[in-house]
Amino acid sequence: MVLGSLLQRLAASQGYFGQMPRYYGPQIRGGASGVKLSMDTTRASVPADTVDIMVCFNWEKYAELEQELPLGIDSIVFYDNAPPKEGISLPERSFQVGFSEISEELTGKTSAKNIVALGLLERILALPENLSESAAAHDQASALLERNGAALHAGKRLLPEFPFAELKLSPPRDATARTVLHGNSAVAQGAIRAGCRTFFSYPITPASEIMEEMQERLNHGDGVFLQAEDEIAAVGLALGASLTGAKSMTATTGPGLDLMTEMIGLASSAEIPVVIVDVQRCGPATGIPSKSEQSDLNQAVYGGHGDAPRVVVAAYSVKGCYRLLIESFNISEYYQTPVILLSDQRLGQTTVATNSDFLTKDYSMARRKRPGGEYQEQYQRYELTEDYISPMAFAGDKGLTYQATGLAHNEKGRPSFDFATNQSMHEKRWQKLVPLRDRDDLVKLFGKEEVRRGIVAYGSSAQFVLETVEDLGLQDEVKVCVPELIHPLPRRLTSFVGSLEKLLVVEMSYSAQLYHYLRSQIDLPSDTASYARAGGLAFSREELSGPITELAR
Amino acid sequence: MSKEGEYRTEVTPVWCPGCGGFALLNALTKTALPNLGIPRHQTLIVSGIGCSSRIPGYVDTYGFNSLHGRAVLIAQGAKLANPELTVVAIGGDGDFFSIGAGHLPHAVRRNLNVTCIMVNNFVYALTKGQTSPTTPYLQRGEGPFLSFQFYPPVDPVLDMVSYSVSTGASFIAQGIATDVPHLAWLIEEAIKHKGFSFINVLTPCVTFDPPWLFKTIKEKASYLKEGEPVGLPDASKEQPWLHDPGNITLALKLAQTPVMEKPHIGIIFRGKEL
Repeated sequence: MVLGSLLQRLAASQGYFGQMPRYYGPQIRGGASGVKLSMDTTRASVPADTVDIMVCFNWEKYAELEQELPLGIDSIVFYDNAPPKEGISLPERSFQVGFSEISEELTGKTSAKNIVALGLLERILALPENLSESAAAHDQASALLERNGAALHAGKRLLPEFPFAELKLSPPRDATARTVLHGNSAVAQGAIRAGCRTFFSYPITPASEIMEEMQERLNHGDGVFLQAEDEIAAVGLALGASLTGAKSMTATTGPGLDLMTEMIGLASSAEIPVVIVDVQRCGPATGIPSKSEQSDLNQAVYGGHGDAPRVVVAAYSVKGCYRLLIESFNISEYYQTPVILLSDQRLGQTTVATNSDFLTKDYSMARRKRPGGEYQEQYQRYELTEDYISPMAFAGDKGLTYQATGLAHNEKGRPSFDFATNQSMHEKRWQKLVPLRDRDDLVKLFGKEEVRRGIVAYGSSAQFVLETVEDLGLQDEVKVCVPELIHPLPRRLTSFVGSLEKLLVVEMSYSAQLYHYLRSQIDLPSDTASYARAGGLAFSREELSGPITELAR
Repeated sequence: MSKEGEYRTEVTPVWCPGCGGFALLNALTKTALPNLGIPRHQTLIVSGIGCSSRIPGYVDTYGFNSLHGRAVLIAQGAKLANPELTVVAIGGDGDFFSIGAGHLPHAVRRNLNVTCIMVNNFVYALTKGQTSPTTPYLQRGEGPFLSFQFYPPVDPVLDMVSYSVSTGASFIAQGIATDVPHLAWLIEEAIKHKGFSFINVLTPCVTFDPPWLFKTIKEKASYLKEGEPVGLPDASKEQPWLHDPGNITLALKLAQTPVMEKPHIGIIFRGKEL
């Protein structure tokens, strides 16, 4: 992981794009871990199914990750120490390099083996000379390089033994340094950008990085960060903060979202803005905490008792994590409703080297509707207005005291069991969200409009779909719809599906939650296929080329 | 300074005639809040679910009748986001000692300046008389109790007053619903105390508690006065000590006295302020 991170950052500093998903198991510390890194001149593409170059420090650990990091017959392998035992067949171009041995010779310990390997890869890939030195001193990771200069140079000197001219990288499109961040970091940075200064969360894999980054950022600013005793507390604290007007948020994954369910219903009923990020992992129950899945969709859209409308959005890229987090706050604040942003482990923990313009560009920020001066005497917290959105006083506002409740209530907020009032309050809470269905900007379309074959996919799976379509050269025959707004159902998604003769829904959920959600809301073409399976193993291009080719046939 | 009438909404309480809830409502709206002079808009009352949790609707401050057991969470979140607010969490024994019991020690250790008032009526009243964690322990056949007289509580009482002491709450008091002026004074002291404060209000449930329950509590109640000897259970052979609310060890002894033997009314512990 250290080697991958350093290589990605060094390449990014030269202008290379790339993605680096992480693979790790249930270990507390140590254990099997690996990364796969793509380096690209034009965009941060999903790494290929099999690698061009693999560095392996430990074959026993590799065996645990082999399903996720398969070797191809053309892969070039550099491995430390002993060759693999039976079960792993090495490609022709496999080389034993004493990374640990060299490290120990130079530094007295084997831990600099990563740096030796880095030196070797820098030379093989013909990354500019002195690159690592020039990038050094940027931060902690680069300082590591500085300390191990000898190991790095030793790695570079290994090159003459392995002349692979064909692996030289094409020069980057331009030498602009790319930003390196993962989806969880993008979420945290988006939260800060959106003006969130009150954050409450409970540690859980794979969402904890959001909490850690918010802790770092809010503890050094004027914000409130609190690690709660559980997820019920996390969202409860956030609702309390929101009552005073603060943009409040929490982040979790499936099991945490379960615990938050009752509070989400309360936020929906009492119309309190809150943003909840769910970095989905394999469920049910504890599932596979470190692996990706897309099986919280039902819980996000329908979770909880009663008819409790909420908004569900889903990011499919790192940039989207940032933009949609800001948008989640916009929607939540404007419509006074809980918003659930779905991410997933793949998106959350894959570091991406990309352009940084999305971090600095302008984003519009929506605000809560606030009571004006005329309300002093007759303020009604849940006043029925034309757009169903009632002005919200903040606890602390003079002259506007009100009492909110999770009980059925009237416009004044008083408990009311009048059935007509109950009906109209339901109508208010549902109808206020209807304009969201026209948010065309939250549905991304790819391909030619006139095409009659299309795919719907969301989250990180959409990346695999888009790249597979391109790899297969089917851009002119198949179009793709990636909804970022999941609930309420955007009209643009409905019309996309309506334009098709043949539909394929791709998702990482054994029970095909997206497919069933769409089916419940839209008349799907009679020729509709669902490609859905349990998570854990990421989709591969090879895997998806089957159903996509079938769709195009 | 606000006048007392300004603290009540026009809403009529749902409580039974004679309910202890009225005592708390009166203590809050007629005495404590007017005496403290905190503006209505600078006050937030958050409650859970249960009879007593209906109270925010009756007090014209900011209020939120939230979820069962979770009032203290919303109260803390609001206080963190707006420290100017006076924040009070109100709930019953089911709220704070059962479904939400896990939150209490964390509120204690965070020690935010929030006042937590537990209306302890020894029973689940809103759901019509089931046993609560504070329902006194009885052997089967040991006299009529609640509506479920054939199924008396079998688990020992969860003594969360002792628990509050042992987790180090910075202000712990016990009030009694039959003495409104004293209860109001306790609430004032708790709100003024900078740090997390917890008041256990011994409250009769006129509908589901057997009449002897609160009669016993009232008869045996003894008031704590700083520097004066504490009351001890009739059977106790111990020499009464002088009440020192700053002494956590003595506070624990007071808290551990079974409520049916010697309920201590007053400030049990007052620690260092923030």
